Amino acid sequence: MASRTNSSFVLFSPQNVGFEDRPEPQISDPHEVLLRIKSTGICGSDVHYYNHGRIGKYEVRSPMVLGHESAGVVIKVGPKVTTVKIGDQVALEPGICCRYCVYCRKGIYNLCPKMQFAATPPFDGTLCDVYCLPEDFCHKLPDTLSLDEGAMAEPLSVAVHVMLKQASVKFGDQVVVFGAGPIGLLCCAVARAYGAGKIVAVDINEARLLFAKRYAATDVINATTTSKDATEAAAMISKKAHVQTGGADIVVDASGVESSIRAGIHIVKPGGTFVQAGMGRDDVNFPIAAMCSKELHVKGSFRYGPGDYECAIKLIETGKVDVASLITDIVPFEQAEDAFRGMSGGNSIKTVIRGPSMSTKMPSQA
Amino acid sequence: MTSTTNPSFILRAVKDVVLGDIPKPQIEGAHDVIVKVGQTGICGSDVHYWQRGRIGDFVLNSPIVLGHESSGTVVEIGAAVKNLRVGDKVAIEPGVPCRHCEYCRSGSYNLCPDTVFAATPPHNGTLSRFYKTASDYCYPLPEHMTLEDGALCEPVAVAVQICKVGNVKAGQKVVVFGCGPIGLLVQSVAKAYGAKVVIGIDISQSRLELASSVLKCADGVFSPPSLPKKPDGTAYSIDEESEHSAKVAQIIKDNFMLGEGPEVVIDATGAQSCIQTGVNLTKKGGTYVQAGMGRENVVFPITTACIRDLTIRGSIRYTAGVYPQAVDLVASGKIQPQKLVTHRFRFEEAEQAFETVRRGGEDVLKVMIEGVRD
Repeated sequence: MASRTNSSFVLFSPQNVGFEDRPEPQISDPHEVLLRIKSTGICGSDVHYYNHGRIGKYEVRSPMVLGHESAGVVIKVGPKVTTVKIGDQVALEPGICCRYCVYCRKGIYNLCPKMQFAATPPFDGTLCDVYCLPEDFCHKLPDTLSLDEGAMAEPLSVAVHVMLKQASVKFGDQVVVFGAGPIGLLCCAVARAYGAGKIVAVDINEARLLFAKRYAATDVINATTTSKDATEAAAMISKKAHVQTGGADIVVDASGVESSIRAGIHIVKPGGTFVQAGMGRDDVNFPIAAMCSKELHVKGSFRYGPGDYECAIKLIETGKVDVASLITDIVPFEQAEDAFRGMSGGNSIKTVIRGPSMSTKMPSQA
Repeated sequence: MTSTTNPSFILRAVKDVVLGDIPKPQIEGAHDVIVKVGQTGICGSDVHYWQRGRIGDFVLNSPIVLGHESSGTVVEIGAAVKNLRVGDKVAIEPGVPCRHCEYCRSGSYNLCPDTVFAATPPHNGTLSRFYKTASDYCYPLPEHMTLEDGALCEPVAVAVQICKVGNVKAGQKVVVFGCGPIGLLVQSVAKAYGAKVVIGIDISQSRLELASSVLKCADGVFSPPSLPKKPDGTAYSIDEESEHSAKVAQIIKDNFMLGEGPEVVIDATGAQSCIQTGVNLTKKGGTYVQAGMGRENVVFPITTACIRDLTIRGSIRYTAGVYPQAVDLVASGKIQPQKLVTHRFRFEEAEQAFETVRRGGEDVLKVMIEGVRD
């Protein structure tokens, strides 16, 4: 019997993609698991690699499989695997840390310098049929969740990391989130699940703001016409959203845009917390005096760490966060290229690409 | 002895030790290292397995090599090892966790249920000529550090972890119950961290002198008064004992002008009376750390803990960053653990070394066993 092909969606060079049959991965470590990928969400980083072939120092130098926000079904387990079994649905945590360095041993493995992250060059991503992952990076999904919801566990885990680990959101907090894309929306949703008293979504896209208001925000602000002066913009946003005197407890930037970051710093109350989640330009003009004199806690947030996936899955399972309504487009595997082409605008929030096994015909056999 | 033999000090069954030979370990994983063991200190837990065959859930069911406080010289390294070279002298952190479980992933690897810990059944310890472990659990020693100092990094690391758990900081008042090796080292680490006042408590005068005059790790020392024997020979009630402990706590506060009390109290005895006194002594809002292991259950002043908003924590083994800090503290001379060593034995005399620790006495503090001589 011929070995099953592992149909994969590959980026060769900017905007040059195609399908390839790759060898099916083998289990090489007793703790590894083989998964059949069923659903993969597209992230801004995937789109950026598609368009530009690089993000910062990470450059696609040889063909690389795209995708990293996936869920799948266990098809094979290594001899020492105890936490999942064949047939289980799992959400993939797609970054394997080294387990030996100081960061890993301290439990902040998202900062591991030897991190092998799916679809960050040179490591292949998850837009394929079969993928191999150690069991502790496979998070079991309850049967009540769909695999599309499972794929959403990845961006929700990013939001959990922002709001719980870095922002430490608590009941009654007033939170302002700049950027109403998937991450910003999910940050609002996590804030709401944890009892934030006011959640303000700020964006320049009216459609996204309308969605945010229905979804998780208590207030939405269209910042298109705000003053270029950051303190004026901050005052306008705070006033329109009726933020408490003194300022917001927490401000999250999920846009990467300089004017948002600047206004955001001026909105945080003295002693409050600002979390940089969005990625835009490497360097921005930053209101450092305000940060200093208000004694702000300014933190970055990068991917996810221990417990974030478990928390995200629990939030979906208990209905505290709705991820299904963020999925606006579902595309069969063979139309993956169209999905990437159409990603630079429009009203979509999250596009999900189904795994090749969900199609009746493999694209490479077309 | 040829280079293929691996002479070892083996605990066969309760109270039954023997010098034997076990297979020389081989490099299996890419991160493995083989160390020729240089020095090994003896700990109370080693003696406990020898005499009782169990500690809690860890039960001796088959022979194990004893020893876990060791240093040595690297003789072989796996293909992925980058932090060590053959010939390096190293301190060995004796517990390698699984790296996969939720405890390991979140940085609490001291709580990993699948830790391979030297000389905790069923795992072999370090009292062999050669010992295999993971490269990230071996820490290179600077040139000037002896192998004896390297082995003493283990109890120093225990003390560093205790101070980490207690959040001991410069300017604090710290009281440590117990002037055995761990108590003395906790006092030393607290001093190195800049504690304003460190007080050592023990019932033995000679131990108190070690703290105040030899190691000079305590600014003040104290032997707590015990309840006098009743004329009719009956025992005191639980309440009477508890009341006495509270009184002793006040005496300590007054004697050493500790005001509202020390911000951190550490018990390195496991004795009920010390635990009671320690909790009563801790400043409101302060931290009490249980480091010593005695009876599993004690009479505990829980209402005091409640109304004074105390943080009560246990401390076990070590976590990330602790062992390297221990090596630094010893290398820099800020802590001088060799002052704790009272007896030194050759490898062949291992049983005698253990017997020395077992009989105890004021003249026995830290006993070292040299590695196998070539």
